[in-house]
Amino acid sequence: MKQQIRNFIFSEIIFVAEPTSFSDDDNLIESGLDSMGIMRLIVFLEEQFNVTLPDSEIDPDNIKSINTLEKWILLHKA
Amino acid sequence: MNIVTPFLQQCVRTPNNIAFVEAEEQITYSELRAIILRLTTFLNFKHVQNQCIAIALDRGISSVSCIYSILAAGAIYLPLDMKNPATRLQIIVEDAQPRLIIGFGAPPDWLLDIDKWLDYSQIPATSFNVTPAESSPNSLAAILYTSGSTGKPKGVALSHQALSNFSSWAQKTFTITEKEQIASLTPFHFDLSIFDIFTSLSSGASVHFIPTHLTLSPSRLTYWLYEHKISCWYTVPSLLSFIALKGSLDKTSLPNLKQIIFAGEVFQSVHLINLSNLLPNATFYNLYGPTETNVSCYWKVERNRLNPEQNIPIGQPACGAKLSINSETGELIVNSINNFSGYWQQGELRPIDTKNYATGDKVSLNQYGEYCYHGRLDRMLKCSGHRVEPAEIEHYISKLDGIQECAVIGIKDMTSGQRPAAAVVLHENTELAETIHPLKKQLPTYMQPSKFLVLDKLPVLSNGKIDYQAIKLLFNS
Repeated sequence: MKQQIRNFIFSEIIFVAEPTSFSDDDNLIESGLDSMGIMRLIVFLEEQFNVTLPDSEIDPDNIKSINTLEKWILLHKA
Repeated sequence: MNIVTPFLQQCVRTPNNIAFVEAEEQITYSELRAIILRLTTFLNFKHVQNQCIAIALDRGISSVSCIYSILAAGAIYLPLDMKNPATRLQIIVEDAQPRLIIGFGAPPDWLLDIDKWLDYSQIPATSFNVTPAESSPNSLAAILYTSGSTGKPKGVALSHQALSNFSSWAQKTFTITEKEQIASLTPFHFDLSIFDIFTSLSSGASVHFIPTHLTLSPSRLTYWLYEHKISCWYTVPSLLSFIALKGSLDKTSLPNLKQIIFAGEVFQSVHLINLSNLLPNATFYNLYGPTETNVSCYWKVERNRLNPEQNIPIGQPACGAKLSINSETGELIVNSINNFSGYWQQGELRPIDTKNYATGDKVSLNQYGEYCYHGRLDRMLKCSGHRVEPAEIEHYISKLDGIQECAVIGIKDMTSGQRPAAAVVLHENTELAETIHPLKKQLPTYMQPSKFLVLDKLPVLSNGKIDYQAIKLLFNS
């Protein structure tokens, strides 16, 4: 799952010269993930992993890193 | 007339109205006036008339106070985008050659000439009851830097008359009164902010600064709009799309929000229809115009004419503009009092004939006699409301070690309009990742290419010029 999220973010949303050196805990928002990026990311995640991510939980706490994103998705995947 | 004057008159009429709300702080018209008089007193001692003064502060009460004081002192304000990388800020400051740069605390590392730095918190408390400097209609008021097709950012210089003309048009058209609660999100280097800064304060309205972090949490933003009883908001379509899609508008109704005004990029009809269904009582306006003309065309959205398959028109002339279409190219030509005075370069105004401004936008008239927008005649991109010249991105990429050639194009995007993408030709034995690494520090986020494509050589047309259409196809394949 992490790899799929990474691939989408680094190929479609934010520019990171060396994605491999970007850790799963590194801050995506500080690296340029903005509101438009978040919107595209959520549309992708919902389709890709067949989950509904509640509007009220779209928040930097859940979106800030690859790890928090995975945790958030798994919470709703059950 | 100095554009500050309507605000000062309003201070007499409604001294106790709230002018601004920023986080927990709020400030009345008379309190704001006191701050502005103090800063103006200080600037008057510095004899800054007709000189450019840069503001290195994020949007908020302090930076609005600076803007009004700079204008009252007869100087020209230049809002810097503090989200820009240091190198771009240096380029802008080097080009603008401001007399002073106002910010908080110690001078930032990127500032080479620290003598220009003025710490806002150190401005003395001495205050006189100053009257705003006399300004002729053509006196310059603002310089807004935007992406330049020559590879460097360029400063669009706007006069007092240009700002006043738009401000009073907007006040009348949207009937802005002292009861209005206006939400403000636009950074001050964008022309959309002219509404938030000037139309509001000359009407006695209250402006509420939206905390930036809320743009990452759409349903919290919706709740904030509800809590602050926002009645009017002028913003960019991409953010409105986000709220329409993910802002919990089905759960939080916004009964006070009467007017939503948008500009800066095409509002995808699908999203606009979605938003207008969620806000059945709001009136929507589509405003159009490059920074050089501010708003020159507008359309009051007619809900029954919205069609997901069709873009909305940009409508009728606004602000008294006279519009015409070049019969050969279809280019929109704008003749308006709003028009800019020229570009600010190397510390001074380079006057050019700005009476009839050729927008570079292709338009046509529809059956209702309304103007419709059909894209750019040149390569300019619109990325999340930002105007981006591919040439400026190419300028940075081509300077990187390891790059032989490059070409930047726009990839269409459902949400952010377009995103830049770069095709590059590398020197032998060069790695892409290593080569492009420095870009992160050189370009603002919205200008960073989201995709790179390494080619052996760039496709060219028979005349030897780069074939951008072919590059677009390569990205799509």
